[in-house]
This record gives sequence, C-alpha cells and structure tokens, in this order.
Amino acid sequence: MIEFLQVLILGICLGFVYALMVSGLTLIFGVMRIVNLAHPILIICGAFVSYWLFILIGLDPILSIPIAGLVVAALGVVIYKLIFERNAAQQTYSEMTVLLTFGTAMVIDGILSFVFHNTQRTTSPSYATDAIFIGDIFIPLAQLYSGLVSSVIIVGLAVFLKYSDFGIAIRATSQNRTSAELVGVNVKFVCLISFGIGCALAGAAGALVSFIFSFFPSRHWEWIAIMMSLVVLGGMGSLKGAVIGAIVLSVVSSMVGAFISPAWSTMVFFLSLFLILIIRPKGLFGIQSD
Amino acid sequence: MRIKKLALTALTLFFSFSLYAAETIKIGASMPLTGMFAVPGSKHLEGYQMCVDIINQNGGWLGKDVILLAIDNRSDTETSISQYERFINVDKVDLVFGTFSSKLTFPTSTILAKYNYVLPIPSGGALRIYRRGFKNLFYFQSNPAEYYGKQLLAVVRDRASASDQPKTVALVHADDFFANSIANGLLGKKVKLPGSGKLVEDMAPGYIVEAGMKLVYHEQWPEEGFSDWLTLANSIKNSGAEMVIGMMASPEEAVQLSRALKTVRHNPKHLMLTQGTQSEFLEGLGDATEGIMIYAAWHDDAPYEGTLAGQRMNNSDFVAKYKAMNGKLPDEDVAITFALCQGIDQAVNATRSVDNARIMSWLHTRTSRNPVKTILGDYYWDSTGLPINKQALIVQWQGSKLKFIYPTNEFQASSMISPKPAW
Repeated sequence: MIEFLQVLILGICLGFVYALMVSGLTLIFGVMRIVNLAHPILIICGAFVSYWLFILIGLDPILSIPIAGLVVAALGVVIYKLIFERNAAQQTYSEMTVLLTFGTAMVIDGILSFVFHNTQRTTSPSYATDAIFIGDIFIPLAQLYSGLVSSVIIVGLAVFLKYSDFGIAIRATSQNRTSAELVGVNVKFVCLISFGIGCALAGAAGALVSFIFSFFPSRHWEWIAIMMSLVVLGGMGSLKGAVIGAIVLSVVSSMVGAFISPAWSTMVFFLSLFLILIIRPKGLFGIQSD
Repeated sequence: MRIKKLALTALTLFFSFSLYAAETIKIGASMPLTGMFAVPGSKHLEGYQMCVDIINQNGGWLGKDVILLAIDNRSDTETSISQYERFINVDKVDLVFGTFSSKLTFPTSTILAKYNYVLPIPSGGALRIYRRGFKNLFYFQSNPAEYYGKQLLAVVRDRASASDQPKTVALVHADDFFANSIANGLLGKKVKLPGSGKLVEDMAPGYIVEAGMKLVYHEQWPEEGFSDWLTLANSIKNSGAEMVIGMMASPEEAVQLSRALKTVRHNPKHLMLTQGTQSEFLEGLGDATEGIMIYAAWHDDAPYEGTLAGQRMNNSDFVAKYKAMNGKLPDEDVAITFALCQGIDQAVNATRSVDNARIMSWLHTRTSRNPVKTILGDYYWDSTGLPINKQALIVQWQGSKLKFIYPTNEFQASSMISPKPAW
C-alpha cells in the first residue's frame, strides 16, 4: 500500500510538469490548428534561459520562469510572423504546419547545438535532489515545487481564458474562427498573441524542466512523441484534456514502471496514443474542427 | 556573355576543387551529433578533429592534407549505414573512422567489412561485434563489454575493506546493445548473435555469482524516452541493495539515476556506473559525485606514451594541448577517438599508404613489443579485433576530481573512498 501511494505521488507530481509542457501545445493547436512539433525545442530554449541565469547570476530556476517565458514568447512571435502568418489562408494550413514546425524545430536545434553544443546540462538548485520524508513516504522537492508551480500557471491560464475579454476572444477563435471574425474578433491578432502565450508556457515549462531532467538541444526529439500522446489522450486543443491526460498517463506510466518493469513504462504513452486514435480519435475532451 | 563567364567560373571552381580533392586524403566518419548519443558523439568528433588538425599542421599524410568528412547520423542505425555507404561509393573516402556505441557499430561494421575497409572502433564493446569472422575490426578501448563485470566487482573485492564488502547487489541498465552486453556477463547469460542465434559465448555462472553476491534487484529501462527515474530509484531502495551497478550508454542517464538515488536517499556501500566521467556528470551532481566509481578507458594521469604525425604525443602532451586550447581537462570521450586517430596515423606513416589492405595487415601484425602507441596505452589485437592485454580503468570521483583507483598494477593508483559517503 505504501509503495502504491508513493508511486501515485511521484506520478502526480511528474504529471503536473507534463501538463505544463503540453498546455502551450494544446492552446496553439486549439486556436490556430498548428500542430507545433517545435514546442519541445522551445521548452529546451526556456531551459537554456533558466540554466544561464542560474549559472551566471545564481537566479533560482523557479524565479526565472517569467524571464524564460518572455524570451521564448518573443521568439515565438518572431517565428509566427515569419513562418505561419503568411500561410494562414492556405487550405492545407493545418497539414502544412506539421512540416513547417518540424523544419523550425530542426533549425532551432541546429542553432542551439552550434552555439551551446550537444552537452547535457542541468540546473542544480539545492532542492533539486532533496525530498520531504513522511514516514516511509517521500515527496521529492523538485517535483513537488514544479508540480505546484505548474498547477498555479495552468489554473491562471484557465482563469484568463475563461474570464478575461482576450481569453474569451481566444476561446471564440478556437471554437469557430469564422464566427469569431464575424462578431468582430481580430483573429489575426488573437492568433499572434495565442502563439506567443503558448510559447511562453513552453518557456515556463523549460525553466522547470531544467532541474528535473538533463537537457541538451537534440533532447526534444524524445519528447515529441510523449507530448503528442498526452494531448491526443486529452483531446487536441483542450486545456482540461491536456492536464487530465498528462496526469493520468504519468501515473499509469509510473505504476507500470514500479509494478511491472520500467522497460514498459514509456510504452504506456505510445500504447495510449494508438488506442485513443483507434477508439476515440478526438480524445477525451477534444474539440471538433470548425 | 555573362552566362558564359558564370559557366567558366563554375567550371574553374569545379576543377580546382577536384584537383584539391585529388590532393587530399579523405576520412569518413558517421557520428551521432544529435539524438540519444549526441553528448559522447560530439566529444568523439572533437577528438577526431583535434587529431586531424594536428596531422595537417605537421604536413598531413603522404604530403597531402587530411579532410575529415563527419556527418550527423542522428544516433540512428539506418542513417549511419547509408552514410558509410555514401562515404565509400560517392565521396570515395580513403579511410573511415568508427562511430559511437555498439548499437551503431554492429550494423555499420558489416557494411565496412563488405567493402574491406579498415574499421577502427572507438566505442563498440559488445562481444557480438567481434565474433562474426570479420578481419577489418580494431577496437580502441579495452575488454569487450561482456567482461566488464569482472573488473567492476574486482575493484571492490580487492580494494574495499572486509566490512565494506557488499553481499547484495542491484543491477539496473538501459535496454541498449552495450548495457545489455555488460548485464549478460554479470548475470551469466548466453551471448548470441542477433538474427542467427549462434552462440557467441556462455557467460555462466556470471560474475555476480562468482563473486558470491546475491542479486536482489534487476531491471532495465527503455533505450529512449525514459524519465521516471525516481520510481526506479525507489524500487532499488526497497531492495536494500548494498551495491548498485548502473549500466548505461549515455552520460545523461548516469546523472539521472544518481540524482534519483540521492533524492530517495538510498545509500549503497558502492555505486558503480559505466558512464559518468564527463564534466556534465559533475555539473549535474556537484558534491554528490563523491565516491561514485566509473568504468573508464582513459585517465589524465595515465603515463601512456604515443606519437602523432611522427612526433611525440604522450598522454600528458595531449592533456596540456587540450587544456591550452579549451581551458579545461578533456573528457575520455575526446581522448578515445584521439587515440584511435593516433593509431591510424602510425599505420599510414608506417605503410606510407592509405591502402586499406596494407593498413589492415600492418595493424594485425602489431605485437606487445611493437604495438600501436597511443594516449590510451599500447594496442595490439587478436584476430577478431579485440585488444590483447588491455585493461580498463576504474576511476572514482573524489573532491570533484576523477581519481584513478584500479587496477593498481597499471600506474600509480589513488586511495579508494569506501564506503561511498552518504548522500
């Protein structure tokens, strides 16, 4: 029972981090129908910002979240303006974005590899390898803090989307782009800002990832499939779905790792991807395309 | 008129390049610069490039400049195979250098054997690579991976006090060609060739049983995408293992496993890893590296003597040169490929040729009295391409520095920290 509880705690903590990693991905898809395969490399960019702030001025990775978010958001806006905006009117836009974002990921990967080399890096704040022990149960501080911060950011995003005027405009655009335009929403601007917000979330996730996992530029290839399985389970474009999908799969993966074998734990993500695509392609909370 | 000028310029450039290419010696190397082996792969390339640069600064080979054609194979076997095919059939390279990892070396060695190209291997220790009857392989490290276990346990047996001798051991490893090979030796499994199932060697009863230890936990994690290190570390902790052996192909996994063991506060008497000599390991763990033992091929204190481009290039010279260029100590992943390049340089200069058959023959006739001399020590090989009498080194992190601790008959060994300090 204790081991079950322990694994459950570890799975939930990691699940919230996964949730933050995919929240930007699902937001961008929901609003713009961009399957952003460059999202993981943007997370790596955020991790690099956080890493250098930690190394150069000793800034705690959690405190560096706003800076990492802003830097990656700015990068995202530039990418959107240069690559996506001009193609938005194309009929095959959504399909095209898969290739465009794949290419973008390769270019950013190449630049990062050239500048920083494919050396693995980790920020090591004091809590990165510390834990709270309650009897036989331990709660790793890095996972706990990052889980808490992730949940605060996600709740903040949900509140923003639900109650702010701009959030309502984003939701309207994501539900029906044409109707939103008809009622006066500046869809072009909403898309630009939404892409920026999605990238800011990637930057924030990167700051947290920097002390949970080792990272190096080409690490993002490993994350693409896992992140896609999380958002597909929850439903592409659904923030709630992405969060639930991330936590469920993280817990199940941890359980499989602990009680069957770690060799099978990664399989959980891919198996769920197959099953969901066969049984319910739009995912648990997926939205219908307009 | 303008088009004619352009065409003329293009033709001139083309022929100039062709003439230059004819006046150069080309070496092909398919390297994992991205993907799961990106970190050691990039360092391997650094070692190759540093060596080739020194050769060119000293007049090249046979009076010609040496060009290293290195391409990223994305840690992917199919890509690596096609790149070596391209090097031979399209780029018409004179020689090739090996890639990183057993996983990539196993299939590419088949291709290079088909074309009778010498394949000097920097990292590819799985026994299965060498037991297929190929004559073109030359391994530039130590024992094959299946034999690693003997030394991993011997260092504790020979150097730890009686009270620090572990009775139980946990074995965790990546589901990787190389890591599985080490596990086969420790667990006493049969080593078979993939595909044919032909028995290569029966490792029974296994080094753990031979050492009188009890295996209390054995698990492997998937080759790619694994991130649940805390759950794994917690399972190791629950097993109560007094010694933990972690076998991995990438340093990133070594950092993650160690950090997770620290987080769950599992304090084995000994923690032994097959990766972790890199500066990234120290950066990722800091003081927590204290007492961790690593299986290595190279150490900066090793008094090995070698030559390069006809001049002295001992290990100490290599370390000094690298430090002067980069302001830090080299990692073993740089040193390994540098040593390999030294070996091929000696072969080219001795045969006055880049003919693969002649170089292969020359390398096969090396002996203990007349070896290839590198910064990794002396090399001569058996008929399968495995080095003879080449011991691996066990190093230990002590005070944020890697100290050589075993085997004690190799060169001056430092004292060993035992047991490993609590996290």
